[in-house]
Amino acid sequence: MSNTIASEYGHTDTSVPIEHRFNPYSDNGGTILGIAGEDFAVLAGDTRHTSGYSINSRFQPKIMDLGDDLVMSANGFSADGDALIRSFQQQLTWYHFNNQNKKLRPSSAARLIQHLLYGHRFFPYYVHTIIAGLDEEGKGAIYSFDPVGSYEREQCRAGGAAASLIMPFLDNQVNFKNQYDPATGQARLKTYLKLDEVLNLVRDAFTSATERHIEVGDCLQIKIITKEGVREEFYPLKRD
Amino acid sequence: MSDPSSINGGAAVAMVGKDCVAIACDLRLGNQSLGVANNFEKIFNYDHTFLALTGLASDVTTLSEVFRLKTNLYKMREERSIEPETFANLVSSTLYQKRFGPYFIGPLVAGINSLTGKPFVCGFDLIGCIDYAKDFVVSGTATDQLYGMCESLYEPGLGPDDLFETISQAFLSAVDRDALSGWGAVVYVITKDKVTKRLLKTRQD
Amino acid sequence: MFLTRSEYDRGVSTFSPEGRLFQVEYSLEAIKLGSTAIGICTSEGVILAVEKRVNSSLLESSSIEKIVEIDSHIGCAMSGLTADARSMIDHARVASLNHDLYYDENISVETLTQSVCDLALRFGEGVDGEERLMSRPFGVALLIAGIDENGPQLYHAEPSGTFYKYDAKAIGSGSEGAQAELNNEYHKSLTLKDAELLVLKILKQVMEEKLDSNNAQLASVTKEHGFQIYDDKKTTEIVEVLKAQEAEQEDEEITA
Repeated sequence: MSNTIASEYGHTDTSVPIEHRFNPYSDNGGTILGIAGEDFAVLAGDTRHTSGYSINSRFQPKIMDLGDDLVMSANGFSADGDALIRSFQQQLTWYHFNNQNKKLRPSSAARLIQHLLYGHRFFPYYVHTIIAGLDEEGKGAIYSFDPVGSYEREQCRAGGAAASLIMPFLDNQVNFKNQYDPATGQARLKTYLKLDEVLNLVRDAFTSATERHIEVGDCLQIKIITKEGVREEFYPLKRD
Repeated sequence: MSDPSSINGGAAVAMVGKDCVAIACDLRLGNQSLGVANNFEKIFNYDHTFLALTGLASDVTTLSEVFRLKTNLYKMREERSIEPETFANLVSSTLYQKRFGPYFIGPLVAGINSLTGKPFVCGFDLIGCIDYAKDFVVSGTATDQLYGMCESLYEPGLGPDDLFETISQAFLSAVDRDALSGWGAVVYVITKDKVTKRLLKTRQD
Repeated sequence: MFLTRSEYDRGVSTFSPEGRLFQVEYSLEAIKLGSTAIGICTSEGVILAVEKRVNSSLLESSSIEKIVEIDSHIGCAMSGLTADARSMIDHARVASLNHDLYYDENISVETLTQSVCDLALRFGEGVDGEERLMSRPFGVALLIAGIDENGPQLYHAEPSGTFYKYDAKAIGSGSEGAQAELNNEYHKSLTLKDAELLVLKILKQVMEEKLDSNNAQLASVTKEHGFQIYDDKKTTEIVEVLKAQEAEQEDEEITA
């Protein structure tokens, strides 16, 4: 059938098919940050939830306590993040049923999350995922994931909107990159940071990110995992 | 990645201290992911006024020569060197003349006013809008990283030595997280009567 | 009694009026016809031993496989219709490999045993017209030996789908005598070496033929080496030690 209709006034009306496309993804901003210490781990995130230039919520915490002394956050498209955490929690319940209520280790949780993410290889969860816990030796453990499940254990990792602002700061202040002993000229030795030092770094990182990134701010949520369990702290961030 | 301002890569930063300023740039010149040269300095000085130019390498070279011409003409007419503030306005108007066919660069200006002794830094967008900053300005393919570093490491009122340490740490950690920047770095620390140029040893990847 | 039986022992998923599943009970009988298998759990590891019935002098005894590896930390011994064990072993190996794939850790011995027993119960499936997986219950019982974060463990899995954890367990034709002997001889402070000798001593008592490395097989699961089947040389050595020990005992009895 022709798309061109000749009108009685002599000009032609051309009907062009308009393509409507559903975009299944959006970006809800926010940033997360995990640091592992010798006998603790922290996972922190801001609580601002955005769509474009709008702030949907100033207090939407996204660091989740999973039980088994594990905490998790999936930053990016928050609907996908929530779905991922939900499906992980369901899998964890099944793990307990099938394995005599055994405590899920961070390394096992990481492998499980890889399969949850890779299971959506061709329609991925649009998230940067970080989990934190304590390993078998009681040392702090941070695992970070790309959207399709590639993962790595690290000392520290920033994810989300302001990851590019925070990550070099972490390289410098946690792993002492580019720091040299003025006396010997040798690279500064890696040492474990104490909990209060780490909390100060986390707060500095987020105040800096809040200053320069519009999607970061309102409130800072920090979950701290020690052998005593999981504890939570909140700090205000700038709301502009 | 056919964005002209990130074909060649490169980054720069300038900071204000107590009676001093510092300005730093990397040395990399690349063609997309291919490293081409590790001696491509992006900081130029017109007497006591310093200019960093990041972005499209051909525009960097062209503009640095354009400003050499213009500052020399200024010097002949005024019989004195151009001051940083004046130079900033020269950069701005020069860039705006190419409003609809711009140079793909991100300039920074740093220096100490020889009349007032006031430290001065500023940055620009590619069509000449001036960003007068009290603390620091950044430019290039590692801007995100540099903002994160500077915002957390910078403090006002640093002396020349502390300012050098701060700008170096901030710059090195920032370019290490950017694949298009690095391959060596240069830092200038400028005080009223002395300019120190230091080449930093950096990782080469 | 025989009459009621004959009416209710045909369908695999039909209860008798007394509430019994005859096919399942018969499958337990099939195990009692099988060669003897014994497992002993000690604090140092688990020992498995089986009797191999070498019916003919022309039979290669190495082709009789009654102890198999499931994973590097779990092995099992079988008694009954050993061909049925193939599909159970396959299922167990898949379960163990999958657990490692999904959780980056060794599967626990109990979880592995549970998954084998889940399979054992699937003879009832397919009554509603869908494709049937099994025609009858398995005719084989397994002694599953393994080690995990809870230490060395021994499980007994039956065709009925039930399983129990044991310190020491015997199955197969000689199981009654062997189990009685285990009850007498087992104690918590048994070492792995003690268990090797004990398991062979008991196997020797319940076997018809003279015990040697040809008609008996040993395996162990330890923290250090995981699951290992003993080679003929090692088995022979233990048999020799056992012989010497028994000769010593006889001498003592004579002098006494």
